[in-house]
Amino acid sequence: MTDARIPPHQVQWESKSEWQSHPHAELSPPPDGRVRAPWTRVLALGAGAFAVWFLLFAPTLQHNAQVSPVGTRRTVSLDVVGPVAALSRALGLSHIVSVTGRGNGLSSGSVGLTSSGPPPPPRGGTRPGPKPAHGSGGAPPPTTVPPNPKLPTAADPLRVLIVGDSIGLDVGGPLQSDLAGTGIVNAALDGRVSTGLTRPDYFNWPAELTADIRSTQPQVVVVMIGANDAQDFLGPPDVPYTSPQWNTLYAQRVAQFMQIAGSGGATVVWVGMPPMQSAGLSAQMSDVNAVVQQQAVKAHPPVTYVSTDKSLGTAQGGYTAFVTNAAGQVVNVREPDGTHLTPGGGQVVAQQVIAELQTLGYHI
Amino acid sequence: MLFPTIDFAIFFAVAYTVNWLLNPYARWWKLSMIALSYAFYGWVGWSYCLLLLATTVVSFGGAAWVSATRDERTRRIAMAVSVGALLGILGWFKYYGFVSVNVDNVTHAVGLGRAIPLLQVGLPIAISFFTFMAISYVVDVYRRELEPAKPLDFALYLSFFPHLLAGPIVRGTELLPQIRRRRDPDAVDYSRAFWLILAGLFKKVVISSYVSSAIVTPVFTSPSQHSAPEAIFAAWGYAVQIYCDFSGYTDIAIGLALLLGFRFPQNFDAPYTARDLQDFWRRWHMTLSRWLRDYLYIPLGGSRGGQGQTVRNIMITMVLGGLWHGAAWTFVAWGALQGLGQSFGHLRRTSRVRRGLPPVADGPVRIWVQRFLTFQFVCLGWVFFNSSGMAQAFAVLGRVLKGWGQASPLVTPLLVVTILGTIASQFVPTLSVGRLQAAFSRQRAAVQVGLLGIALLGITTFGPVGVAPFIYYRF
Repeated sequence: MTDARIPPHQVQWESKSEWQSHPHAELSPPPDGRVRAPWTRVLALGAGAFAVWFLLFAPTLQHNAQVSPVGTRRTVSLDVVGPVAALSRALGLSHIVSVTGRGNGLSSGSVGLTSSGPPPPPRGGTRPGPKPAHGSGGAPPPTTVPPNPKLPTAADPLRVLIVGDSIGLDVGGPLQSDLAGTGIVNAALDGRVSTGLTRPDYFNWPAELTADIRSTQPQVVVVMIGANDAQDFLGPPDVPYTSPQWNTLYAQRVAQFMQIAGSGGATVVWVGMPPMQSAGLSAQMSDVNAVVQQQAVKAHPPVTYVSTDKSLGTAQGGYTAFVTNAAGQVVNVREPDGTHLTPGGGQVVAQQVIAELQTLGYHI
Repeated sequence: MLFPTIDFAIFFAVAYTVNWLLNPYARWWKLSMIALSYAFYGWVGWSYCLLLLATTVVSFGGAAWVSATRDERTRRIAMAVSVGALLGILGWFKYYGFVSVNVDNVTHAVGLGRAIPLLQVGLPIAISFFTFMAISYVVDVYRRELEPAKPLDFALYLSFFPHLLAGPIVRGTELLPQIRRRRDPDAVDYSRAFWLILAGLFKKVVISSYVSSAIVTPVFTSPSQHSAPEAIFAAWGYAVQIYCDFSGYTDIAIGLALLLGFRFPQNFDAPYTARDLQDFWRRWHMTLSRWLRDYLYIPLGGSRGGQGQTVRNIMITMVLGGLWHGAAWTFVAWGALQGLGQSFGHLRRTSRVRRGLPPVADGPVRIWVQRFLTFQFVCLGWVFFNSSGMAQAFAVLGRVLKGWGQASPLVTPLLVVTILGTIASQFVPTLSVGRLQAAFSRQRAAVQVGLLGIALLGITTFGPVGVAPFIYYRF
């Protein structure tokens, strides 16, 4: 160390003698038993290891590329990985990966089906009917009164299923928590990041929803999906997002999803996407919301559409990061990415959905 | 750019080759590494590069001003202005939104209306890390512990991509001497580097991702109806998740630097073997701990005053350390808990000394009880650290008290083995790891290639589809 003062204008940019001197003393190999190697040998080792891994893992990489968003990156990835994957299959190497499996199958950040709240009664269960009038003669026949889902109790909780993409998850967590906190609602949540209805090759939401409905038997289904849907449908033939056919095909997917959601007689509530900070993405979300709103009206029975344009936006439905909540407090509702919701934002929408359910007659 | 991606693998192959090919040519090597580091940072968003450049100019200029000034008072002013400017940049990006919302709610509550505009300021990735490195450089020059660096050397010191996004927080005294010297191209410590990179990938991609999706995310997303055992395992699980995530990142960063011929300081030393909070902070995020000690705690007075002053300094240091992680009350609570834990340990130790009592003899039971209690206290802090708000933290803690007698389907044998196994791995002597690295370095090339390829295959096979960003990227 030195306290020599060197004015900045006199600083030499490089010192050739210093640079050409022996490597820094700290880098001299200590007596640790490890053999050092020239950088070219290390590069060859790394490249060799990468090649081994690439050959063995190419079929999985090919699958990942196939289900990625349409674009140049996907095209290039498929072009590069395709021949190697074919070689891996031809040599029978792909079996190694298929034998070991692929983890738990969840994308990072996703939440598989989780349930909260009082457990629902056994299937086919009944609850006691009204007591017989005092003084009536003889024992009345046992009555079975189906529980009224709009008047849930801890013994007969309302069964709610919430499904969504990453923004749906932002809402789903607080909504599940608030509903379960009533003590009379059993709320199940199934959220999957980076998913939607346009790419069933990546994640098949209709199949997932069918399985969720079978396992949870919901009386209310809350859906918040669409943030990733403004993209091409993969064919053949491919249907570009900007084409007129896109709206028709997307409307079919939404209608099918609404039909599955309501198939068990459940009330379906669809939460629209909020305005986004990016003008382009915001316009795309408007397209998606418009299709959902049209299909909500057409559905039998109609689906309740909950708009978040104003609850998470300005009075004119534009983007804002801050809103005033019911308690009069300013809340930061959007993450800095201008797309996702903060926990406070999720809470605002959760309360909006609960209010909507109350409007529909649910005493929760 | 995330480390565990194909994009980064390609980037690093280019950077590695350029690094060693240009090694004999100082200026070209420095320029190329700076360009590569800015490209690495700009991958997230090019506008962030301007912020990194601004921080570089402010801190370099500030240190030059300090160095060129002879009058001590002016030197002090120059240092304060430079550090203030750096803290101003950090404060604007990191804390303005938090402060404005809280001020707005207070002024509305007392009927004053809006006092300051509500603005959402995007948080540039890595800003906390390179700002702390820049501050340490200016202060070290002020303290005459470091000569002002040459412009290219300093630009590379601050932007060098292996440490740029989430540390370690490398001091100028550690990295600048290495930047000034040519590195030996025939002595790459590759066996240790590959070990660190693969261990880091395994911890991040396999362990951290699994524990997160198996219990931490479900319980913290909707704590209200999970059972007490699930809440307890979620807290323990988060301890494992954040350790594997952050130490995994650090291992990869140190390994990459080693392949380029640089040594970074150690950042973790088996933190869950700690016997008290002070011991924990000597083992957890060590480069942040020493930064807080040298640039905050000691300037505040450290333990040079009385008991009260020492406790005050510990509390200030740890609460500000908590706020460094993020602008939220949960981080304040986490920092305060760390401060309380350390203050308690300090008072307990000094009270024995003051009363003239000898240190309590260490026995195995005492050591393990201390380790167990310290780990539980650390996990209590992690509950606040991982919660999106105080309500969520108390909801998780409430389940520990009230959630008994329910089924715990999330607590599976695999999860229990993973969590306990990861904690137990911290008790493995580092000597045996060193022997493994040495044995690997003596193998034939074909064997080494095969082992490395299979290790990579295992990590990618057992990891999830897609990898979440490192937790510390958001700080």
